[in-house]
Amino acid sequence: MFFNSLAFAVFLPLVFFLYWFVFNKTKNTQNALLIIASYYFYSCWDWRFLFLLVFSTFLDYYTGIRIEKSTNEKWRKFWFWLSVSVNLGFLGIFKYYNFFSESFAQMLTTVGFKASPILLNVVLPVGISFYTFHGLSYVIDIYFKRIKAEYNFVDYSLFVSYFPLLVAGPIERATHLLPEVKVKRTFNFQQAKEGICQIVWGLVKKVVIADTCATYANAIFDNYASMNSFSLILGGVYFAFQIYGDFSGYSDMALGMSKLFGLELLRNFNYPYFSRDIAEFWRRWHISLSSWFRDYLYIPLGGSKGGLWMKIRNTFIIFIVSGFWHGANWTYIVWGFINALYFLPLLLSNSNRNNMDSITLKWNFDSVRVLFSILTTFLLTCVAWVFFRAKTITDAVLYLKKIFTNGEFSAQYLDNERYNYELLLMIGLFVLVEWNNKTRVEPISGKRSMLKMALAIMAIIAFGTYSDYKEFIYFQF
Amino acid sequence: MRKFLFFLFKIIIILFLIAVVLDIIYTKAYLHSAKRGKIGYVYNSEPKTIDVVILGSSRAYYHLVTPMFSHKGLKAFNYGMEGAKLFESDLILKLLVAKKNKIKNVILEVDLSLSSELDYSEANALKFMPYFWDSEIIRNQFKNSPDYNIFYFFPFYRFMRYETKLGFREMLSNALDKKGNDLNDGGYLGLFHSNHELKSDLSNSKPRRNKYYEEIKTLCKKNNINLIAIMTPMCENTKGLEYFKQVKKIYPEIYNYENVVTEDKYFSSCSHLTDEGAKIFTARILKDFFL
Repeated sequence: MFFNSLAFAVFLPLVFFLYWFVFNKTKNTQNALLIIASYYFYSCWDWRFLFLLVFSTFLDYYTGIRIEKSTNEKWRKFWFWLSVSVNLGFLGIFKYYNFFSESFAQMLTTVGFKASPILLNVVLPVGISFYTFHGLSYVIDIYFKRIKAEYNFVDYSLFVSYFPLLVAGPIERATHLLPEVKVKRTFNFQQAKEGICQIVWGLVKKVVIADTCATYANAIFDNYASMNSFSLILGGVYFAFQIYGDFSGYSDMALGMSKLFGLELLRNFNYPYFSRDIAEFWRRWHISLSSWFRDYLYIPLGGSKGGLWMKIRNTFIIFIVSGFWHGANWTYIVWGFINALYFLPLLLSNSNRNNMDSITLKWNFDSVRVLFSILTTFLLTCVAWVFFRAKTITDAVLYLKKIFTNGEFSAQYLDNERYNYELLLMIGLFVLVEWNNKTRVEPISGKRSMLKMALAIMAIIAFGTYSDYKEFIYFQF
Repeated sequence: MRKFLFFLFKIIIILFLIAVVLDIIYTKAYLHSAKRGKIGYVYNSEPKTIDVVILGSSRAYYHLVTPMFSHKGLKAFNYGMEGAKLFESDLILKLLVAKKNKIKNVILEVDLSLSSELDYSEANALKFMPYFWDSEIIRNQFKNSPDYNIFYFFPFYRFMRYETKLGFREMLSNALDKKGNDLNDGGYLGLFHSNHELKSDLSNSKPRRNKYYEEIKTLCKKNNINLIAIMTPMCENTKGLEYFKQVKKIYPEIYNYENVVTEDKYFSSCSHLTDEGAKIFTARILKDFFL
């Protein structure tokens, strides 16, 4: 059940109705309903993996309490490492086992041994990377005594399996979401209205921008060998907007529907393509994951306290791990590595925290410099996205090489029965709307919201892509 | 909460109104052009006298060379469409008759579609969708379609569902009356690539009586149209060629031209003639029926 499916269009209003009209007596009834709805939502993907979700929830709930109650440091450590290793073990088996097995066999073959990998025939449980990280952050925070363990199983279960964030984030923190689910929610018109606006804007991003870009990006990436330089450059740009529209659209819908239930989730995107350097980009892109890695990997590794080399080492580690988190493929690892490389000049010049202020453009030379920085950063991210999108590293390298060697910049008819340049106007318009609203969460609410809502609805039904149905990219992670 | 429900109600009303307005705009645009494709040509052309209407699947589309009819002084048009079933042929003929065209002959390719499990091919059925609200004939034809109600009750849904073929881009082309490629050469498309590894297997195909073929026969009889139902050539290396004999048993009036062209050099694929093969085949049809 996708957020942009007809089934979900029935599911969400039904849950909303029950939540505010039937189960609204106490926070326990509200939470119980949301858990039932979440489990039903998850079982629509594959009911068998529901056991995994429930087990993972129970494990972290129980170990959290054991860690807090243990007076002996050895036992504290035992429960902590039990939780961490089981969580990572599940992730390792379902997500990475085949990758390691194949890579190991390939390595043996390279050095002259004949080896065939033993592969597991399992599908990746949807959302496993997200709910595992929820649970891990919770247990780590208890272990380091940043938070108290949650004794109410229903409240804790909701924190882990709350359906808007269950399959593709944002990755919530116990410090943020648990206090919210521990109090009864009362209906707030303004909040719910903003929620609807955010859902509609998320839909625009998904069905108008992402899915339309996908048809072009697929036509170009899948046939890159026969594409000219212009098409290949546009392919990178289209994919950049596809993944942004897809993932930030999903996040907007998740945040929006949470507002309907009186809950505020962590913001996941903050107009990342308007970043002036790559450090700023990572403060604006998939914020919940970046901050997770910062808090649970970068800082425990020593962060920037151990001098420049430690800072560089830790930066490379978190980017490579972040790449690997996305998927068991070398392309993701290289994507992470490239982003770490982009970071290097900023670290060496100690300028990674230069662009912390908001962006304003005026008619002066400084604005030209800002605009140039934004375009350069976007270009760099597009190059990295080529590795993220390509099937293999060789494909990505050949793709980039062909941009420079083909030298032909002309209109090209693509597999999707469109010319390569046809989407540029729509993307330009989208960028303009986002730029004019970059200080806000979404552009619909506020003044003349009904008019903007009408335009957004018109865009969704007239310009959305429906026949070539696409699932959310981040569901596979 | 009441305020919020009213807010939602307003959004639903806006959504409905936009869908209605867009539906009207798109339908008007599609009613504007007769140059984009074969269905638009049927639907939006002025009534005329047509000596030969060619109907069927790709085995009519690629096999009957319309310009050869014109050279004989016959006004002909090939309405064959890739993947079309008898459902679509029937609907085209119904529309042509309803639009007061005077038709003398219909050449109907009717062979492999008699064994089809599907009533119609979605890829062709969608081409009728812009006219769904304008035409009772089209609505009636789709009455048994599982999507009928959703097409009927949800304005603009059909344009959303088939947005790659009927969406904004195609609507704009219709509004601007841009010419499409389907109407070149009187609707005929020649294939020029000859394939030398040809084979096909029809042994699992079983012809059945077909409701739409019966409707076409009735319609032709009622409107004094001479119906020429034919089976067209297959390549030599086809297993189960007795299929065509079985068709003949069910419908003896269908002319069997399966073996008129046999050499592989005249085939682009096992069931499709090249342009050269199509010319040989069309010459035979002209000789047999129009001399």
